[in-house]
Amino acid sequence: MRNSKYLIVGSSHAALEAAAAIRMQDPDGALAMVTRDTRLPYSPTILPYVVSGRSEPERILLRDEAWFADNAIGFVRGETLAAVDAAARTARFASGAEWRYEKLLLATGAAPAIPPVKGLAEVPFHVLRSMDDAVRLRDAIATARRAVVLGAGLIGMHAAENLAKAGAAVTVVEMQAQVLPGYFEPDAARMIERAFAAKGVTMEMGRTVTAAEPRGQGCAVILDDGRAIEADLLLVSTGVKPEMAYLAGGGVDTDRGILVDDRMRSSAPGIWAAGDVAQARGFYDGAKVVAGILPNAVEQGRIAGMDMAEDEGVKSFPGSVPLNTYTFFGQQAISVGLSAGGEGREVHETVGEGGKSYRRIVLEGDRLRGVSAINDFVDAGIMWQLVLRQVDLSAVKADFVARPLETGRMLMSRIWR
Amino acid sequence: MSKISNSSRVIVCDGNEAAALGVGLARPDVVAVYPITPQSSLVEYVSQMIADGRLQAELMNVEGEHSVMSALQGAALAGGRTYTATSGPGLAFMFEPYIRAPGLRLPMVASLVTRDLLTPQCVWGGQQDAMSVREAGWIQIYCETVQEVLDTIVMAYKIAEHHDVMLPVNVCHDGNYLSYGVSRVELPDQAEVDAFLGPRDVNWHVALDPARPMAVDPLTGGAGGGGPAMFVKYRKGLCNGMQNALRVISEVHAEWGERFGRFHAPLVEEYSLDGADYALVTIGSMTGAAKDAVDAAREAGEKVGLIKVKTFRPFPVEALSAAFAKVKAVGIVDRAVSFGWNSGPVYQESLGALYRTGRHIPAISFIGGLAGADITAEHFARIIETTAKAVTGAVPDGPVWVNENDQ
Amino acid sequence: MGKSFNTIQFHADRCDGCGDCMTACAQAKAGTDDLAQSRIRIVPAGGGVYELALCRQCGDPKCVMNCPSGALTKNAATGVIDWDWGKCVNCLLCTVGCAYAGIVFEAEVGHVTKCDTCDGDPACVKVCPHGALEYKTVAGIFNEYGDKEDLFAPGLSACQGCNSELLIRHTLRKVGPETVVAAPPGCIPGMGTVGYNGKTGCKVPIFHPLLTNTASMLAGLKKQYNRMGRDVTMLALAGDGGTADVGFQSLSGAAERNDQMLFVCVDNEGYMNTGMQASGATSFGSWTSTTPVGSAMKGKSTEAKNLPVVMMMHNCSYVATASTAFLEDYYAKLEKAIEASKHGMAYLHVYAPCPTGWRFSSAMTTQVCRMQVLSNFVTLWEFEPGRGLRFTHPVDRPRTIEEYLKLIGKYKHLEPEQVAHIRKSVHDKVAFLKRFAAADAAAAAG
Ligand SMILES: Cc1cc2nc3c(=O)[nH]c(=O)nc-3n(C[C@H](O)[C@H](O)[C@H](O)COP(=O)(O)OP(=O)(O)OC[C@H]3O[C@@H](n4cnc5c(N)ncnc54)[C@H](O)[C@@H]3O)c2cc1C
Repeated sequence: MRNSKYLIVGSSHAALEAAAAIRMQDPDGALAMVTRDTRLPYSPTILPYVVSGRSEPERILLRDEAWFADNAIGFVRGETLAAVDAAARTARFASGAEWRYEKLLLATGAAPAIPPVKGLAEVPFHVLRSMDDAVRLRDAIATARRAVVLGAGLIGMHAAENLAKAGAAVTVVEMQAQVLPGYFEPDAARMIERAFAAKGVTMEMGRTVTAAEPRGQGCAVILDDGRAIEADLLLVSTGVKPEMAYLAGGGVDTDRGILVDDRMRSSAPGIWAAGDVAQARGFYDGAKVVAGILPNAVEQGRIAGMDMAEDEGVKSFPGSVPLNTYTFFGQQAISVGLSAGGEGREVHETVGEGGKSYRRIVLEGDRLRGVSAINDFVDAGIMWQLVLRQVDLSAVKADFVARPLETGRMLMSRIWR
Repeated sequence: MSKISNSSRVIVCDGNEAAALGVGLARPDVVAVYPITPQSSLVEYVSQMIADGRLQAELMNVEGEHSVMSALQGAALAGGRTYTATSGPGLAFMFEPYIRAPGLRLPMVASLVTRDLLTPQCVWGGQQDAMSVREAGWIQIYCETVQEVLDTIVMAYKIAEHHDVMLPVNVCHDGNYLSYGVSRVELPDQAEVDAFLGPRDVNWHVALDPARPMAVDPLTGGAGGGGPAMFVKYRKGLCNGMQNALRVISEVHAEWGERFGRFHAPLVEEYSLDGADYALVTIGSMTGAAKDAVDAAREAGEKVGLIKVKTFRPFPVEALSAAFAKVKAVGIVDRAVSFGWNSGPVYQESLGALYRTGRHIPAISFIGGLAGADITAEHFARIIETTAKAVTGAVPDGPVWVNENDQ
Repeated sequence: MGKSFNTIQFHADRCDGCGDCMTACAQAKAGTDDLAQSRIRIVPAGGGVYELALCRQCGDPKCVMNCPSGALTKNAATGVIDWDWGKCVNCLLCTVGCAYAGIVFEAEVGHVTKCDTCDGDPACVKVCPHGALEYKTVAGIFNEYGDKEDLFAPGLSACQGCNSELLIRHTLRKVGPETVVAAPPGCIPGMGTVGYNGKTGCKVPIFHPLLTNTASMLAGLKKQYNRMGRDVTMLALAGDGGTADVGFQSLSGAAERNDQMLFVCVDNEGYMNTGMQASGATSFGSWTSTTPVGSAMKGKSTEAKNLPVVMMMHNCSYVATASTAFLEDYYAKLEKAIEASKHGMAYLHVYAPCPTGWRFSSAMTTQVCRMQVLSNFVTLWEFEPGRGLRFTHPVDRPRTIEEYLKLIGKYKHLEPEQVAHIRKSVHDKVAFLKRFAAADAAAAAG
């Protein structure tokens, strides 16, 4: 049995920020980071760029060995957490290794959610969450002629673009009526869809896949309208689910993810959770959500680390706000906060000349609730702060609606001074 | 009778030069000077010795006595042996740092070429300056002769630096009479003085030295806590050092006598006291004339003796009361005034020593030699006459002002 | 200790929105006049006020944390957040992290751009005509001296907001341990530097001279150390009373003899340790407990002694004035003063506005210090024999004297005539010094 005052499981954004935060406060306390992956830390977000060939797997590492040494962090790779005994404060790994901890952070992120499609298990398909997945997909794309992407979220859209650029005939199938649901309103989504269509990608929106069947080396997916689309490459990117099978033994409250409070504490004493595995306060209504985005993993990791190290400077998690930046075929889409209109909300939508750009501002009273934009740059970080701080825009509302970029910068500069 | 040590030289000089020669023999590290009558020629002599390379010391020509004493305290805190000299108003101006040296237990040596204090405006001899600082914590030794000035300056370093003492010493010699009075002086050999004094030993206990960092003189005392008790400890230590000095002064004088053949009375000198009915009490250079007068009176059959006070601080209570025990009346001659007691200060302090004897003998206060006035043999003859009457109980009301009717 | 870095500071109150900085940046970084390509952005806030969007080179950079590709890193040597074009994948997540608009997508070039401080020589700062942008290099002080031992004990009991404690800690750090410190009665020993009841507040030898004899005691100490062949620095940390009033004779004497010491006068314009009585350094019009304000008296009726000028006339080895709001300037002078003290008298006159005695909030000290200089109420200069007088921080467009006076409670009662008097005397004092500086500059040129 090994011992560590702090035990962090996972080695991605949430884990790394927590470790750094602990070290700010407690430079000496024993700290171990144990992860399933066999590589040095990298971000899942980079994987589409590995797939496209833009990023080399060796050049995107978030930390090197020296960082762990400098910070006196024991880094253990290739160990998968299998069970946690919250009462005994021990963690058991698939290899049989056991760790005793004082404080445990679960930062195991999420895994692809595989939809219950008949026959799917019998056909070859790809997912994209790990570097191994990415390398496999990259190699497959090189030879793919016909590809089907299930799910028009970020992962699917990135892959579809890469596949199209590689010359494959691509079909994207999305159950909902638009791409990137939740981040963009239909008008914006249409712009993105048009860009894909213009590059020859077939966008099958509002369609479900009812079955998958093997076809030669590849497969065919059957749509709800009965059509069968053949593919030599199938990517399943229909969403993610928190990686928390090791909690099956109970002792820690879970829902869709591990339930945490505003300091990222789970229901079990001595256990924290952060990032894609955690289900924490949502900003708008307080209901707990699994956010699944990188900036939240960073924020939550930091809060968890500070709280674990009893850093008095720790601030409560304000709640997750949907955040998205997305580049497709050289165009930029940004979304911060709510995009939907509704009761009490004031929506200002602007479409640029020739439909080449788009901007949507959602206000509630004098408060900003969300901004989304395509090819119309706004500072996402500033907008996020305006939303979180519920900055009173009454004095500058017209200016803000007309020129959110400049007005936002002016407001934040003033606040920071 | 003193014998001349083989290696001594004989010269003729005044008291200021004798003091300077004594300083040269004691080899101080730092000398700070500011001129004032009647001390000026003394610091001129010392400056010239340094200029000529006869004394290898740092000479600081500072802008006033206040800085003289301050600079020397700095030098002492760095471990240097120091010297200066002053008089009257110079001492008054120096007073602020002057009263600090004893508390810091700095073994400094300074000559007081005594002078009467203003006002009336006056540049002549008198011991009012020295007597006014008798409670400052400095050792005060009063010289009688030019030779004693030289010898005492050297001895003063040995007394001051003694670990049981560690107090500053004023070697006092009378302005005018000793400062400018010329006489024959034996000049001891440098090597023998070096052997007598040994290496300087100044700041072993308190220092401003990065090699031994300490706070020198932080605030001490205050309401409550251990502060006042600590203050008492320092004060008591100073008093103990003063008392130890009585022994050390005697030892040093004895050693001086052994080495150089001149045995000066360290605390109190008893002169012609055998079979005396009464005695004069003197201090400083007046003693010479007083001794002549006593000798003359003895020849005339008067049973008179003399008691000379050499060390006034610490006050030699034992030695003095032992001398007082031998006579039936005393006439105490002061060269200064105790304003509060309407007497001379030596008189006033002698009363305490008399009390120690357990006998209530008559005592008369004579005040003379103020503002450079001479106390001549004739004056002393009258003093003897007056004191003789006291044996039978005729004691004047109030002090006798010796030079009151001089023309 | 960690490392500190240089940074670009923005003084919004001096910015008139001219945009020269943006032009310079666009030119320097993209070789264009297209302001859209500037990495510094001045934004109008209405009413002639301007705000700034610029990378702050954060110590805890969220852009770096949010970067999934390792393209952004905090440079450990320069503190600049470096962006690596080769690694960037244009995901814009960095822009989500930044709340300052310090890293933004630039359509013209198709990727994010950010300020790199032009490798420590920012083009924007150089062109700003009003000093609204300033490249702060004080970090060097921290890096150079941060690890040096603070030779004063922790927990000195100076009043809240006192800059003297700041000053003496900096000073002794720089002067170093081979030093004897003299702290005559006043605030500096009052805060416990010399200690109490047998305990010291300092790790080097320190003492309480008299209020009157600091310079002469140090002179004697130095003489003896020189005699012993030891190089020990004599450092006085004195108040203005111990310098300008009763302490002046011994200082003047030591200066005349060019005794080797570093004499620092911490000028808080009076006897602030003992209840705010006036000193010879108290400025005209000041309320103090001995120049009170009543129906017959309106504060101090005479000018302060201009002590640094008096010291200059003593032909010291070095004389300078300094302010804790301009620490780099102070360090440069301290460096020269330490060197000069090996040969003779080095005199530093440091202004020390006192929140307790002058009646301003303890949070305002540095601002008051700065305003003293910016209003020319005090001037920063140095005098070196042979080189003469030189202003080290000339203020050609000073703030009005009212701006300075209104910060401070001890001037609250001033009548308009008194303010006018101060305005004139400030003007005259600066003019007087300028004549020296000009004459010296002319002498140097000729
Ligand atoms: C292809 C792709 C594109 C994305 N694009 C974006 C984007 O553009 N913007 C955005 O905001 N977010 C994006 N995300 C989401 C973002 O990457 C995640 O929100 C973020 O990585 C979450 O960080 P995390 O630390 O919580 O978990 P993860 O990054 O998922 O890391 C989990 C860590 O835990 C380890 N682990 C998992 N299970 C175990 C176990 N049982 N035992 C031991 N170790 C274990 C893993 O090896 C890994 O180190 C993307 C994700 C993917 C997959």
